[in-house]
Amino acid sequence: MIVLGSTSEVAQAFIEKALQEGEKFERIYLFTSNKETTERFARHIDVKFLQQSKVIELDLTKEIDYNKFDSINSNLLFCATGYLGEGTEEGLYDNKNTERIIDINYSKLVPVMNYFAQKFESRRSGTIIGLSSVAGDRGRQSNFIYGSAKAAFTAYLSGLRNYLFDKKVHVLTIKPGFMATKMTEGLPLNPKLTATPKQAAACIYKAYKKQKNTAYVLPVWGIIMMIIRNIPEFIFKKLKL
Amino acid sequence: MKPNFIQKVTNWGNFPIVEKEMRSEDSFRKIKDFVLDHNEVIARGNGRCYGDASLGEHIFSTKKLNKFISFDRLNGVIECESGVLLSEVLEISVPQGYFLYVTPGTKFVSVGGAIASDVHGKNHHAEGCFSEYVIEFTLMNERGEIIKCSREENSDKFWATIGGMGLTGIILTIKFKLKNIESAYIRQESIKAENLDEIFRLFEESESWTYTVAWIDCLQKGKDIGRSILMRGEHAFQHELPQNLTKNPLRLKKKLEPTVPFYFPNFVLNSLTVKIFNWLYYKKQSKKEVKSFIDYETFFYPLDAVNEWNKIYGKSGFIQYQMVIPKETGREGMKKILETIANSGNGSFLAVLKLFGKNNPQAYNSFPFEGYTLALDFKVNSKLKKLVAQLDEIVQEFGGRIYLTKDSMSKSSLTNYLKNIQNPKFVSLQHKRIINNN
Ligand SMILES: Cc1cc2nc3c(=O)[nH]c(=O)nc-3n(C[C@H](O)[C@H](O)[C@H](O)COP(=O)(O)OP(=O)(O)OC[C@H]3O[C@@H](n4cnc5c(N)ncnc54)[C@H](O)[C@@H]3O)c2cc1C
Repeated sequence: MIVLGSTSEVAQAFIEKALQEGEKFERIYLFTSNKETTERFARHIDVKFLQQSKVIELDLTKEIDYNKFDSINSNLLFCATGYLGEGTEEGLYDNKNTERIIDINYSKLVPVMNYFAQKFESRRSGTIIGLSSVAGDRGRQSNFIYGSAKAAFTAYLSGLRNYLFDKKVHVLTIKPGFMATKMTEGLPLNPKLTATPKQAAACIYKAYKKQKNTAYVLPVWGIIMMIIRNIPEFIFKKLKL
Repeated sequence: MKPNFIQKVTNWGNFPIVEKEMRSEDSFRKIKDFVLDHNEVIARGNGRCYGDASLGEHIFSTKKLNKFISFDRLNGVIECESGVLLSEVLEISVPQGYFLYVTPGTKFVSVGGAIASDVHGKNHHAEGCFSEYVIEFTLMNERGEIIKCSREENSDKFWATIGGMGLTGIILTIKFKLKNIESAYIRQESIKAENLDEIFRLFEESESWTYTVAWIDCLQKGKDIGRSILMRGEHAFQHELPQNLTKNPLRLKKKLEPTVPFYFPNFVLNSLTVKIFNWLYYKKQSKKEVKSFIDYETFFYPLDAVNEWNKIYGKSGFIQYQMVIPKETGREGMKKILETIANSGNGSFLAVLKLFGKNNPQAYNSFPFEGYTLALDFKVNSKLKKLVAQLDEIVQEFGGRIYLTKDSMSKSSLTNYLKNIQNPKFVSLQHKRIINNN
């Protein structure tokens, strides 16, 4: 298993869920921008499941040396890389913020995804799971830079799914909705709409097993986003969402 | 939306409820920043204390310090971060033939919380408190330094932190010993006692058993006062197990875990329903003595079988009142306490009696000392303050004290017993209440 964004609590919960369900991985490759906490996680799964893993530093904002990834191969890629950045009010006219959001969620991430997708394609097997966001379903005034990067990522995953279909590689797009994670900590979120990483992991694992194409973590988000997508633009633009 | 981290926080008794800043981090560097940037920080584990011990102006939740560090499967030594729950330890240790030396009545407490309260179990008379089996831990102090504490290294901090209720700093990682078991089952005997005299006699007779505890029907009066059931148990050896359990002796079958779906309305728990419950519980066991093999979860954690059972007490919440009274005067004290409760009509759904063994004098902040301890649940209502004040008087008279991790309204002369914890950085609402004497 290859994991991009290994400090993500959802990614970690997913790994634990898969191991609990008895999945076997020769090795888990944990890509991360934070070596310290990821190494702790690597030890954790070794103690708990006797699962070998390898921590590999990956900073999307820097030059990437793909040669180092040559020997890495797997049947499952889980991409939880993401960066929320500042919302509109604080961060819209801050170019650094804008670039970082687009880089980490889309432009710098996609080449890395492509690199591994190519390995999957040549093996003609495997599953790629990408965490996108409901924020990508429609641009809203509160965080549309992040939303637009996620929209692009959603479109990328959809195209990749289409492209890899007859190459026997499956692509699953996850749209989590609110989650109680580091990214959203301290925000006053409605608990009924918010999933814990454990819940999210269980949903994602189910969707993975069922070979779903796209899945919302909590089904209620499917309904909410259907409504939001279908509000006519002349009304939508007046809403404070 | 800018995060402000202000949220409603409450512990297991749903009383009190406060709105305070609560944060959780898994990076030690960020925890350090949090400690340095704030006055009045307090650590919080899984919020399984009943009152205000893990509430404060700036709460650091160890929820994300949830990783294992090492497990020496040969010697049964485990090391993990402080937010790891005892249930998670058991998940990996029981199948390997190891159990916790000391466990409280719920497995949903963090190892950090187990040290900070120096928890006891049904085996205090035989095996002492949780701290007996702690090899070392790391603590973040008021300067954000991480210090290693053991019996040899920084031993003053080691002992102050044990039972120190989070007032010495934030425990980050812990290394502790586990005990060997041959099966996940307990050989149990439960014996009915007609009254206090009989239950005390049974306790003393059962001193050679590793685990003993009694459940008391605390609404009985007169000659029936102290009517109870004593449960005693031992980890079952493989060769003792009945045939049907020998195949997989270290694994339990998955059970259903029902959840209480909402706060029960106030009228559900009243003295009548408590009376009926207690009567049923007592009558359920028709024989004087029953011997059986039961799985460890049923034996140690019967309450964990229902998730969020605390909601049964309704939105106003409940408290747990747990005291210890020295052995010499214990019987008389217990009698008075039970009489006072019975007369108040304020029934306790759950009343648990235990005999504590000798304390470890080095662990001077631990609650237990040799004597009788009784834990009682009371629903919060208008009459409760008065009852607590009455009980406090009795505990005082008999030279007892109150378990801090359950306390939320007892008088400070019974709760102000911690030493070497003065530290303006780490302050809980409980500690403020106690030193301000209100
Ligand atoms: C159903 C039930 C049964 C129980 N039975 C027993 C029993 O039999 N015996 C017994 O002894 N107790 C018992 N308890 C009480 C429970 O064991 C203690 O309250 C325990 O400390 C709770 O741990 P926690 O992780 O939830 O900590 P919290 O409730 O969050 O905190 C408890 C205390 O520990 C401190 N603390 C927590 N984590 C840290 C840390 N990392 N560093 C420093 N300080 C920290 C807090 O500041 C606070 O003072 C029971 C509780 C329940 C709900």
